[in-house]
Amino acid sequence: MSLVNKLKQSNYQIAIISVILIVVLGSWKPHVLVEGFQRACLYAVIALPMALILGIVGIINLAHGEYMMLGAYFAYSLNVYIGMDPLVAIVPAWIAFFLIGMASYRAIIKYVLGTPELNQLLLTFGLAMVLEQMANLIWTSRPIKLPLQYVSASATIGSFTFGTYEFVYVGAAMVVLVGLQLFLKRTSMGQAALAVGQNPRGAKLVGIHVDRTYLLVFSLSIALIGALGAIFMTRHSIFPLVGAPFTMKSFCLIAMAGIGNLMGILWCSLILGLAENFVLSFRGYAGWADILFFALIVLVIIVRSHQREVK
Amino acid sequence: MKKSRPLFYLIVLAFLFTLPLYTGVYVLNVMGIILIYMALALSWDMLLRSGQISFGMAGFFGVGGYGAALLFLNTGVHPLVSIVLGGLIAGVLAWLIGSAVLQLRGMYFAIVTLALAEIFRVIVRNLPDLTGGPEGTILPQAIFAGNSTYTYWLVLSVAALSVAVSDIFRNTRIHFALTSIRNDEIVAKSSGIDVFKYLVFLFAVTSAIQGVAGGAYAHIYGFVSPEGSFSIDFTLLPIAMALLGGMHSTWGPVVGAVVLGVVSEFLKLQIPYGHLMVYGIIIVVAILFFPQGIVGTVGQRWKKTVSH
Amino acid sequence: MAILKTEKLSKLFGGLAALSGVSVEFRDHEILGIIGPNGAGKTTFINVIAGIYLPTEGKIFFENQDVSELPPHKRCHLGIGRTFQLVRPLPGLSLVENVMVGALFGKGLAKKEARRKAEELCGFLGIADLSRDITRMTALEIKKMEIAHALATQPKLLFLDEVMAGLNSEETMEMIDLVRKIHRQGITIGIVEHVMRVIRELTDRVVVLDWGEVIAEGPYGDVSNDPKVISAYLGEEA
Repeated sequence: MSLVNKLKQSNYQIAIISVILIVVLGSWKPHVLVEGFQRACLYAVIALPMALILGIVGIINLAHGEYMMLGAYFAYSLNVYIGMDPLVAIVPAWIAFFLIGMASYRAIIKYVLGTPELNQLLLTFGLAMVLEQMANLIWTSRPIKLPLQYVSASATIGSFTFGTYEFVYVGAAMVVLVGLQLFLKRTSMGQAALAVGQNPRGAKLVGIHVDRTYLLVFSLSIALIGALGAIFMTRHSIFPLVGAPFTMKSFCLIAMAGIGNLMGILWCSLILGLAENFVLSFRGYAGWADILFFALIVLVIIVRSHQREVK
Repeated sequence: MKKSRPLFYLIVLAFLFTLPLYTGVYVLNVMGIILIYMALALSWDMLLRSGQISFGMAGFFGVGGYGAALLFLNTGVHPLVSIVLGGLIAGVLAWLIGSAVLQLRGMYFAIVTLALAEIFRVIVRNLPDLTGGPEGTILPQAIFAGNSTYTYWLVLSVAALSVAVSDIFRNTRIHFALTSIRNDEIVAKSSGIDVFKYLVFLFAVTSAIQGVAGGAYAHIYGFVSPEGSFSIDFTLLPIAMALLGGMHSTWGPVVGAVVLGVVSEFLKLQIPYGHLMVYGIIIVVAILFFPQGIVGTVGQRWKKTVSH
Repeated sequence: MAILKTEKLSKLFGGLAALSGVSVEFRDHEILGIIGPNGAGKTTFINVIAGIYLPTEGKIFFENQDVSELPPHKRCHLGIGRTFQLVRPLPGLSLVENVMVGALFGKGLAKKEARRKAEELCGFLGIADLSRDITRMTALEIKKMEIAHALATQPKLLFLDEVMAGLNSEETMEMIDLVRKIHRQGITIGIVEHVMRVIRELTDRVVVLDWGEVIAEGPYGDVSNDPKVISAYLGEEA
C-alpha cells in the first residue's frame, strides 16, 4: 500500500510542477508552450509506430524515418501528377504503405527476426541507406515544399499569434494513440499482438499465428508512418535525409518511456518538444536545440544502468 | 604459417610502399581513398568483435578532421602532429561517451553512435568563431603541398597502423576477451573479464583510429566542413566493406575495402548520383545471405576441400 | 573456518522472491550439496554469490570480506568460480583456448603460462587428446571443458551447477571421481544437483532449498529423512 501512496504522491507532485511550468511558460514564452506542444505531438505520432514494432515484433527499425520520408514524397507525387491535396493523400498513402510494409516484411525483415540484434541493426541501417539513396536518385537532394494556403492558418490571443494548422499533429497523435490502445486492448487481433509481444512461444502454443501477427503489426506501423509522411509534407520541406533525425528522436523517446509504454511516449514527447522549443526561443542558442535529444538519451542510459540490478 | 606471416606483410608493405615508383597520380589517389576507408572498416570491425556496433565512424572521423585542422591553424604544430592529436581528441571523446553509454549496450549504444555524427555536426555549426561555422574552414595548403607520393605514404601509414592494431588485437589476450564478451557477457564476467573496461577501451582506441584517418583526410583535401567531414559516407562504406569482406578478421575489411574501392571508382562513373545505394544494398544482401563475407565464405569452402 | 558465508540473503525479481533469508555457511574444504525441487532458487543462489545478480537484502562474506556489492569479475579474481549449465564454446577457438580464457583473466597469467595451465587442466580432466572440432564434442567432454575453464581461474570455492545432467551412469561415475580429484586439490566445492546418488556419494553436508528458503541442512542421511524435505519433493511430483 505504501508503494501506491508513494506513487500517488509523486504523481501529485509531477502534476503540480507541470501546472506551474505551464503557467510560467504561458506567460513568459507562450510561443514555446504552443509550438512545443504541437511539435511534441509530431514526435509522439512518429515514435508510436516505431514503439509498436519494437514492443511486439521486437525489432528496431532504423529505416523508420525513411519510410516517413517516402510517404512524404508519395504525397508530393500524387499532388504533382493528379493534383491531390496531401491531406487527402493520407488515405492512398495509408493503403500503399500498408502494402509496402507487407512487402518489406516478407522480403527482408522476417529473415532477421530470430537473429542477433546486431544483424537487425545492420540490416535496417542498410535498408535506411538504400531508401535514402533511392529518394536521392529519383527526386535529388533539393528540398521540396508545396505552396499550400491553409498551412499558414493562425490565431491570435491578445498580443500573441500562433499557428493553428500545426494542431493537426495534436489531432494525429490523439487519433493514433487512442486508435492503438483500442486496437491492442479491444480487438482480438490486437490482443493477440500483445500476447505475441510478451511471449511469442507461449502465444504460439495457444494457437496464435505469430508470423501473421508480426506481418500485420509491421505493416500497420509502416502504413501509419507513411500516412504521417503525407501530413508532414504539407508543412515541412522535404529532402531525402529529412527522416533520419526523427528515427533517432523516436528511439530517444522510446528509451525514455520504456519499451511497451505507449502513454509514456506522449509525456516524454512533451518534455522533448517543450525543451527544444524553449532552447529555440533564445536567439543566440537556437542551433543547440537539436542536441537536446542526445543529452536526454545519454541521461536516460546513465539513469537506467544505475537502476539495473544485474551487473 | 605464423612464422611466415611477418615476412608476407613485409613483402606486401614493400610493394605498396614503392607503388609511386611505377604508377601515376590517378592510381595513387584511388589507393589513397581505399586506404582511408580500409582504416575505417578495420576500426569498425575491431569493435564489432566485442559484439557492439558503432555507427559513429563519421562522427569521430570529423572530430579528428576538425581537431587536426583547428590545432594546425591555431597553434601552428606540424600537420603530422596535428593529425595524431586529432586522433587523440577523438579517442578521449569516445572514452568519455563510452563511459556513460556503454553501461547499456546493444541497440542503445548503437543508436547513440548513430546520433554522434549529427551531434558533432550541430556543435561545429554552432561555434562559428572556432570552426568556421556552416561553411567550414579551409587550410592554407594541403599537407606536403599536395605531393601525391608523400600524401600516399601518409595514408598508407594510417592504414598500416589499423592493420597493425587489428593484428595485435587478434594475437594477444585481447582476442580471447573480445570473443568471450561477444559470445556471452555473463560467462565472460565470470571468467574474470572486466567487460565494461574492455569495451570502453576498445571504443576509445577504434575511435582514435577513425580520428587519425579523419585528420589525415582533412589535411590532404585542405578543408573541413560540417557536411563534408561528417558525411554519412564515412559510416556507410566502411560497414559495407567489412561486411562484404568478412567480419571478425583483419583480412576481411582489407579485402572488402580493396574490392569495393575499385568497384566504386567504376560506379561513380556509371551512376554518379545513386552509387551510394549500392553500398546499402550490399549491407542488406550481406546480412541476409552472406554474413561471413567473401573471406569467410572462401575460408569455409577452403576448409571443406582441404578436409576431403 | 567458513570460506563463504551468506547472511539472510534475499533476491526479489519484481514481486517474486527467488531467495528469502538464506543464511548458509560453506566450510573450508568441504563439499556442500545444494538441492531442492525445480524452481527452488538453486541457480539463483549461485548467481547471487557469483555476482551476476546483486542481492536485494543480506550480505555475502568470502574469506571474511564483504563481497556483496562486488562485480562478478572481481569475485572471480578473489577465488569464487562457477560452471554454467548451458555451455556455448567460443567460436573460432580450440578446446585449449576455450579453457585458457579462464587462466588469462581469472588470475592474469601471461599467454604462455595460461596455455600451459590450460593444457595441464585438460590432462587432469581427461580431455587432453582432443584435436577434434569443438563442435563435435560429446556432452561429457563439453562439461569437462566447462569445468576446466572454471578451474583455470584458480578458484578457492567452486560451484558446479548440475554437471551430472544428461550423463549415463558410467559417465556419472567418472564425473564423481573427477569431482573428488578436484576436491583433493584443496578446493571447496558447492554442488547443485538433481541426481541424489551423486549428492549421497560426494557431499559432506547438504542444504535444501524450497521456494527460495532453506528448509533443511545437514548430512545427506539426516536430510533425506526429513519430512519437510520429502514433502517438498513430493509436492514437485504432484
